[in-house]
Amino acid sequence: MAYLIHLAILFVIYAILGISLNLVVGYTGLLSVTHAAFFGIGAYIVAILGMQFGLNFFVGLLLGVVVAGIISFLIGFVLSRLGGDYYVLGTVGFNYIVWSVLLNWQEVTRGPLGIPGISRPKLFGLDFTSNLAFLFLAVIILGAIYVFSQSIVTSSFGRVLKAIREDERAINVFGYNTLYYKLTIFMIAAAMAAIAGSLFASYITFISPATFMVMESVFILAIVILGGFANLKGSLLGALFLIFLPEALRFVGFTEDIAAQMRQAVYGLLLVVLMLYRPQGLLGEYKL
Amino acid sequence: MEKQSKTWLWVIGILVVVGVVYLVMTLNSSTPATNESASKGENGPIKIGVIAPLTGDAAAYGEPLQKVIALAVEEINNAGGLGGRMFQFTYEDGKCNGKDGANAMQKLVNIDKVKVVIGGFCSSESLAAVPIATANKVVLFSGGSSSPDLTNVSSYFLRDYPSDAAQGKVLAEIAYGDKKWRKVVFIQEQLDYPLGIFKAFSSNFERLGGQTSKEEFTEGTTDFRSQLTKLRGLKPDALFIDTQTPAAAERIFKQLTELKWKVPLLVSDAVTGDPAVVEKNATILEGALAAEFGTDPNNATFKHLLEAYKQKHNVDVPYQSYAQTMYDAVYIVRDGIKAVGYDGEKLALWSRTIKDWKGASGLVTIGSDGDRVSGHIGKVIKKGKVEVYGM
Amino acid sequence: MDLIMQFIINSLIAGATYTLVTLGFNLVYGATKFVNMFHGVLAAVGGYTVFFFTQTIGIDLWVSIIVGIIGAGLVGFLADRFIFSTLRIKKASNLVMFIASLGAFIVLQAVLAMVFTSQFQSIVHSVDSPRVYEIGSAAITHIQLLIIITALFSSFGLVLLLRFTMFGKAVKAISDDEEVAKIIGIDTNKIIGYVFFIGSAIAGIAGILIGFDTGIQPTMGLAILLEGATASIIGGIGNLYGGIAGSFLLGFVENFGIWKIPSEWKGAITFSVLIIFLIFRPQGIFKK
Repeated sequence: MAYLIHLAILFVIYAILGISLNLVVGYTGLLSVTHAAFFGIGAYIVAILGMQFGLNFFVGLLLGVVVAGIISFLIGFVLSRLGGDYYVLGTVGFNYIVWSVLLNWQEVTRGPLGIPGISRPKLFGLDFTSNLAFLFLAVIILGAIYVFSQSIVTSSFGRVLKAIREDERAINVFGYNTLYYKLTIFMIAAAMAAIAGSLFASYITFISPATFMVMESVFILAIVILGGFANLKGSLLGALFLIFLPEALRFVGFTEDIAAQMRQAVYGLLLVVLMLYRPQGLLGEYKL
Repeated sequence: MEKQSKTWLWVIGILVVVGVVYLVMTLNSSTPATNESASKGENGPIKIGVIAPLTGDAAAYGEPLQKVIALAVEEINNAGGLGGRMFQFTYEDGKCNGKDGANAMQKLVNIDKVKVVIGGFCSSESLAAVPIATANKVVLFSGGSSSPDLTNVSSYFLRDYPSDAAQGKVLAEIAYGDKKWRKVVFIQEQLDYPLGIFKAFSSNFERLGGQTSKEEFTEGTTDFRSQLTKLRGLKPDALFIDTQTPAAAERIFKQLTELKWKVPLLVSDAVTGDPAVVEKNATILEGALAAEFGTDPNNATFKHLLEAYKQKHNVDVPYQSYAQTMYDAVYIVRDGIKAVGYDGEKLALWSRTIKDWKGASGLVTIGSDGDRVSGHIGKVIKKGKVEVYGM
Repeated sequence: MDLIMQFIINSLIAGATYTLVTLGFNLVYGATKFVNMFHGVLAAVGGYTVFFFTQTIGIDLWVSIIVGIIGAGLVGFLADRFIFSTLRIKKASNLVMFIASLGAFIVLQAVLAMVFTSQFQSIVHSVDSPRVYEIGSAAITHIQLLIIITALFSSFGLVLLLRFTMFGKAVKAISDDEEVAKIIGIDTNKIIGYVFFIGSAIAGIAGILIGFDTGIQPTMGLAILLEGATASIIGGIGNLYGGIAGSFLLGFVENFGIWKIPSEWKGAITFSVLIIFLIFRPQGIFKK
């Protein structure tokens, strides 16, 4: 039971990441492979502010959102000048740079030593230290983010996003400032990723740069792809699958020395098979 | 509008389910749990968990160390186990990071219901697993994590591998006092263990009046030429090759030779812990300094470990300074269970009483802070062999 | 002053290594127009094949090298045959191909780790330390010199192949426009298959040489690929000459960068250069 709660919390965190990335990739058509960077920024802000200044989790979370917002604005602006394949590579580059900063700016982040002993959230006497209570909090946050995302995609703002995905030039001609839309959604998604990061840091109570490398962004992208582009429920499904699949594989009887590598191989195979036979993912409306 | 309220219904629904489950659990908490452990306590196999990096770059250490543990388990079981009960070890992949370390710990504690876990190997795995161990009264015993952050972190954590703090101090004193070096540069791998050594060395060395500087490199780097060239330009008195593994150090030795740069060397105990590597690189390592808590080639248990591993796997066991502590960890756990039974709380208390326990890694004593009590000793490499410094 | 010579040599070695990667990468990109993540692991395949044949089976070194090169080429060819060409027939987008290649990369890397363990190995070709030549006060080993020479010869050979043979003209036709090439009767799938073989074989050569110089590890592919992709973009993706120029430029920037800036930032510098290029000169130094 406790194990399921643990998995559920991870599911919630990755669901938030999946939903927010889907807004950018699935609805707007911007293939961003840098989500882990904002995930990391949110996590580190909460960790650093908590440890150095004793700031409350919720304050840290809000600050993480602000910082992620600013950074995503700046890099989003730079990246918006790139198209297609180059956009992907630009985001990968940015993710690498953020990871490099987390690793090397040791006065602030302690580099590879990581930051241990992060505390669980407390608010007005409510203590979220127990896993179950934490799950409560996480589900509420996920609910809020889901509702918010849903309202974005069903609004006229959302319609413009989809139009950008389909044919950016055309919509430009109609007088829409596509830069404004792309930048805004990018910032919103980054802020959400930062929230997920705050939850992550507070739950695991230890973070290090290794969690926020490019591979993690690829993993989050896989959630979106699996669940299907432009379908928020799909992202929930994708997160569910990709959190529970490795756990399920633990119980398959691979011999010890290759079990772990086997899981990696299965994960890779899944990507290939999906692309070959169902690129729109489980519930996607938009074929890649 | 309709979709939003539907979503909130879902959220509330989930929260209600979660809340009910919580209530049910707290009401049922006492009886079933104790029943389970009681029935298992009688005659089933003794289950122990292991967390190690089995995939990723760190698997280079995780894989062989898992084999060392398996070797010890096999030996114990072949000798009849403990009171007729066999040891059953479950291995989980910590991937050398906090999230997977925590995942692994959760699974071992809640699904496999172990009372003892040997792990993590990487300090990040251990740091993430410790809170879970403490909350569930499960002993976490690391055979390789050396971050100073783990000292005194929990009464449920102990390690038979010493903290990084000691190594750097010993070497700084020798470097400044004996060798009269004033400028030491580092080429340091960006992982917690080498970083810990650098910090300990440089804070002590600088306190004495010396100067240090460093070039860092990420794990898996293979091209050190420009970094070495840059360090050479600083004209240092000595170069500290501070790596996590002997393999990385070897790559650096090779390029150092190719660049034809002769400079006094210091190495981390990852290198001295591997006699094959020391011997292979005898020329370049002549006169190199290190500080180890020691692999003692004359230690009978250690020799046995080397032979048994070689016989089973046809290669020499790598990373010997960790191999010895991992091997000992398994036997220490057995002795603990023998002494106080298979109970996390009792084992935690027992762990602090470990004094002069004889193993492959020498005499093991665990302090009240969970750390292994031992001195790092200055060593020097002469003619391909590691000797005590100052003899 | 005498340090500069060493930095120059280091830059040349790095540039040559990247060149071997970009040759294959650009060749494949030119014909298929997608960023092939699988390319990286082919270097590891080449290296491990030689390792396997020399150490485990005990075959003569030179024979093993040839087997290694062919082996790498074959693996690339098969990947195209079973995965990429299937996707091309389905008119999959670049994104799908990218993700599929990523999945394949993960699988093969895991397989290599399972078979050969994750330990770092070196391919031994002679008993002692390599011969070192001195140029002024700088040094270069004969393997490193071999890397530079091989890169030059491979580049030269490839250029000749593409300029003066029917095959080469067919490849160019496909690069310009695959549909038109089909219409005029070129069996595009067959030619692309050969392209994969050649490109992958060259990557295999890179892996083998790196194996002699520094060693092999199952995870060596990703770093090699990212450097190669960066060099390709700087030089103009799909453009062979550009790839060569980009490789040496990258080699120089990285190594001279280390001189003045703490080397842990090397990766961040590389990617910053990448992003700058993507913004200001996305077509690279040479237009395609």
